[in-house]
Amino acid sequence: MLARLDVAERVQLQFDVEQFLYEEAALLDARRYRDWLGLLADDIHYWMPIRRTVTLADIEREFTKQGDMAFFDDDREMLEMRVRKLEAGSAWSEDPPSRSRHFVTNVRITGVEGDEITVDVCFHLYRTRLETEVDSWIGRRTDVLRRHGASFRLARRHLFLDQTLIRSTNMSTIF
Amino acid sequence: MLGEARLDPTWDRASILALFDPATGTLDRRVLSDEALYRLELERIFARGWNFMCHDSQIPNPGDYFINYIGEDQMICVRGDDGAVNVLLNTCRHRGNALCRAEQGHARSFVCSYHGWHYALNGELIGVPGQKTYYRGDLDRSRLGLARAAQADSYLGFHFATMAPDAPPLHDFLGEVGRTGLAMVCASGEVEVVDGVQKNVIDCNWKIAVDNLFDWYHVMYSHASAGHSGILDLAGILHPNNQMVMLGEYGHAISGPGVPKEAQAKIDLMSDEERSNAPGPAGLSRLRPKSATELMGPNGVRSLGHPNIFPNLWITLNGMQMCLRLPRGPSKTELWWFTLLPKNAPPQFRQRALRAAIHMFGPAGLLEQDDGENWSQSTRSSRGFSSRRLGQALSMGLGHDEVTEEANGERYIDTCVNEHGQRWLYRSWTEWMAARDWAELEASHSPAPTGRV
Ligand code: FES
Ligand SMILES: [Fe+2]
Repeated sequence: MLARLDVAERVQLQFDVEQFLYEEAALLDARRYRDWLGLLADDIHYWMPIRRTVTLADIEREFTKQGDMAFFDDDREMLEMRVRKLEAGSAWSEDPPSRSRHFVTNVRITGVEGDEITVDVCFHLYRTRLETEVDSWIGRRTDVLRRHGASFRLARRHLFLDQTLIRSTNMSTIF
Repeated sequence: MLGEARLDPTWDRASILALFDPATGTLDRRVLSDEALYRLELERIFARGWNFMCHDSQIPNPGDYFINYIGEDQMICVRGDDGAVNVLLNTCRHRGNALCRAEQGHARSFVCSYHGWHYALNGELIGVPGQKTYYRGDLDRSRLGLARAAQADSYLGFHFATMAPDAPPLHDFLGEVGRTGLAMVCASGEVEVVDGVQKNVIDCNWKIAVDNLFDWYHVMYSHASAGHSGILDLAGILHPNNQMVMLGEYGHAISGPGVPKEAQAKIDLMSDEERSNAPGPAGLSRLRPKSATELMGPNGVRSLGHPNIFPNLWITLNGMQMCLRLPRGPSKTELWWFTLLPKNAPPQFRQRALRAAIHMFGPAGLLEQDDGENWSQSTRSSRGFSSRRLGQALSMGLGHDEVTEEANGERYIDTCVNEHGQRWLYRSWTEWMAARDWAELEASHSPAPTGRV
């Protein structure tokens, strides 16, 4: 379906998708987690598999598969629990709150099926905490955006991190 | 190989034993930050002890390997052509290059990427480029095989290794308490490791990550926000007044909620079918089948707490996960999470169980998120000149409890939330650290406590 769009339509779609992703990132950086939940489809799947250092011969085992272990394997209910935790006033790993910056780049629309748009994105999530804690998470992700009125709802986020050993105390933040 | 390190002059036997005072539960904070103590730990705790390497199911076929550590020494755990598991130091005997660079995988043999020395799965050096032409035939290959762990053995499918030739056999090292702890994983039948070991690194000493697993005091406060999120009912799993502690020789321990004796007596009368339909006692868990009593003992089977196989293997989620705390310097620790499920678990059970593991533990788990910073900040404050002189106060319950001894040899404490496990860990740790070798440790270590504790 993507191939059937003319140039003007593609430019418009690219613009709309990017604006949505930037707005979403801004909500997370501003710690407006409730508002962020409002952007999610009810059937969202938010998933980050485990990555391993493997040889080239073994490369298809680099990431764990769905149904095996992962760092995140969340539905909407679970993401709501994450937000409730952040709001609890006792989420000590985020209070004092971390400072985070979500960068979104290399935005490529790779599929349009019905009202769903698949977007491949490179991300960089930078977080600092307290005096000395610095986390930098870079990776690729595949988002599925579903049309919703004049905007979108996030229906899938699959995150592929460029780290095997996670070099952080925790991942108490939202990617 | 062991017992040869020159002891830092600050740390003679007496000064090591003085680092923890069992009479008051006072711990010297330098155990969390001192460089010389850390170097000594690599020899006297890790190389000397039995270390968890991997589970049978992770390396089912000849040539399958998994990389793990004894302290900071990287080990290849590989199944040989004869089906036995070889535990080899991952370092080439020529110039020390690492042979395996992947975390896991499959190999027919190991070839060094530096000059091409070639080793069999059992570590034998089977090929050296230029052996005739450059070495002129005078290289003795039989002396240059990969170094093997001094002993390697398994219990219930869990493979362990030690670098100490004089260490007691694994079975004796584990003792009742260590064996009961491992049996918790297999209490409902044979298990397999789910693909994917979560690994992350925390700026804390490895011991504070270990002692925290006995700490059922912090749960309500540290993890209050997890309770608030709705993921679990903290009070429902905590049972602060039904805690059970088992302290084992060499430092093993199990501590946490326990099924009261009267309640267990009722469970003992139930058939396996009745048990599988009944709700579990701790919200998360199902009732263990009859066969578990055989493996864990009639009292051990009551434990819903956390075993630690000394020094650093934690068993949690009622035996569904194991977490290694691997030392990376006095103030850095890697956490490796293994998840184990019954073989052929039905898909629905599997999905529910994995979600519980992912959502509770690991770096993104709602419970685990809040632990790391407590540990890193406690480690940090053990470096300051003045704060490190304050000691840590591990006195909860000291002198108030009694060890019950059964005719079958089981020993346990039924009590409320307490710090017995932490005290036993540090007491054992000082004894391991003070002893020059296994003979001295055997002669001088405290037996598992009896009577009043
Ligand atoms: S270091 Fe391995 S062959 Fe030279
Ligand atoms: Fe905790």
